[in-house]
Amino acid sequence: MKTVKHALLIARKDLAVELRTKESLNAAGAFSIVILLLFSFAFDPDPEQVKEIGGGLLWLVFAFAGALVFNRSFARELPNDCLDTLLASPLSPASLLTGKALANFVMLLAMELVSIVIFGIFFNVNWTRHIGELSLVFALGTWGISMLGAVFGALTVNLRLRELMLPIIIYPLLFPLLIAAIELTKLLLANQPPSPSDFLWAKILIVFDVVFTALAMMLADTILVN
Amino acid sequence: MRDKLAIGLAAAAAGLLANNLYQMFMVLPDEALQGAIYRILFFHAPAAMVGMIGYFVALTFSVLYLTSKNLIHDSLAASIVEVSLVFSVVNLVTGSIWARIIWGIWWTWDYRLTSALVCVLIFFGYLVMRRAIDEPTQRARLSSALCIFGCVDVVIVWKSIEWFRNQHPGPVLDFRTGGGKMDPAYAHVFWMNFVAILLMATALVLVRTRQEATSREIDSLRRLAHTAA
Amino acid sequence: MDARNFTFMFYGFLAAWVIVLLYVISLARRGARLKKELDEVRKITSQSEQHADRH
Repeated sequence: MKTVKHALLIARKDLAVELRTKESLNAAGAFSIVILLLFSFAFDPDPEQVKEIGGGLLWLVFAFAGALVFNRSFARELPNDCLDTLLASPLSPASLLTGKALANFVMLLAMELVSIVIFGIFFNVNWTRHIGELSLVFALGTWGISMLGAVFGALTVNLRLRELMLPIIIYPLLFPLLIAAIELTKLLLANQPPSPSDFLWAKILIVFDVVFTALAMMLADTILVN
Repeated sequence: MRDKLAIGLAAAAAGLLANNLYQMFMVLPDEALQGAIYRILFFHAPAAMVGMIGYFVALTFSVLYLTSKNLIHDSLAASIVEVSLVFSVVNLVTGSIWARIIWGIWWTWDYRLTSALVCVLIFFGYLVMRRAIDEPTQRARLSSALCIFGCVDVVIVWKSIEWFRNQHPGPVLDFRTGGGKMDPAYAHVFWMNFVAILLMATALVLVRTRQEATSREIDSLRRLAHTAA
Repeated sequence: MDARNFTFMFYGFLAAWVIVLLYVISLARRGARLKKELDEVRKITSQSEQHADRH
């Protein structure tokens, strides 16, 4: 209970800081819009092609724009020894990590909302048909990205070439999550009825989130060392 | 002592490989459907198995490092990951060459192939990250965390394969099918080659670990010289 | 034996051996470099110690 309370405190702090400057949100949002624009212009897909590639395009945009968000996640604590202060505080490493992941999650969801609206406009896709299921897929996929982003953001915060290291490490790890999210999003955007194998993708998403969140909590002390 | 063990293992591997090559080319006939190219399997699959076993042994040493804080465990983990990566690359390349003849394509985004590639990318990232960190304790801590996450990810990806139909041939080995699909003569040479590749990998790991120890000695001597100055 | 089949089998074996050989060569080079570095550092350390003893 205390961990949850502290995590929410950290998340609120990060979101407050971010809302003041909006640097990550602006960067991620602008990046996602530019990529969608470029794809629309470069490929000019017809409606059938959009059904095939839409899911993949969206999740690649989310993953790449997400890197801009979680790169800043721990890096913003470096000036004025804020990170050392946080680590020395009574907050448990698990609550700090979860709080950061929560903040990433909210920021990524905001960026995704903007992206899906722009995607709907550029590619003429009605994405509101299965908005409940789509929201669930987005939430599950984004949580996995946020959690791993927080973990590896913390691990690489003091490394030289951090901005280069983080994508090299994190994208292969995100592979099963991204594939599952892509397949489910593709299905929902194409308004196809789900087959039994499609529920396996949902299973993979849930397993990924649960396993990596549990692992991150268990290794939080190792990940965040003063 | 360790050097003698590495040489011994390498010699045993070489002897066994020589015998296996003789068996493969002089004794075993061509496979009915695939022809001569089936012989690639004797390197392709054992390389994959040795790679996978290596990653999970590295996982064990990574967990051991986190509990013991002994840098020897980290050195072992890093050495094993490096050697396993080499054999994983052998697996991908030989598989690709086999596929060119049997499937007519160099590559397909079949789940097993893709997951093998992802595995290589994860542990390549592990080695890249290690090179970016100079401080040994920090390097060991980060590497251990990444190895644990990487291995768990490999399991998730691997289990996902079993849930989906795919293009790659299904299991043929006894312990996967519960009763063989592979001819006993082929199976014998297969397992002997697996042992040979495992011995080779172990010898390479011993050599690599020795180099890690030398590297640590250089680090501590530099610190000593710096302090003395 | 189909010629192309046999050729690609040869390529497969060659690829496996070349990859392992390249790795062994890189290991040998790294070992030589480390040995050289170790000898240099040992020399520097012993010189520092001798210098410290004299003073």
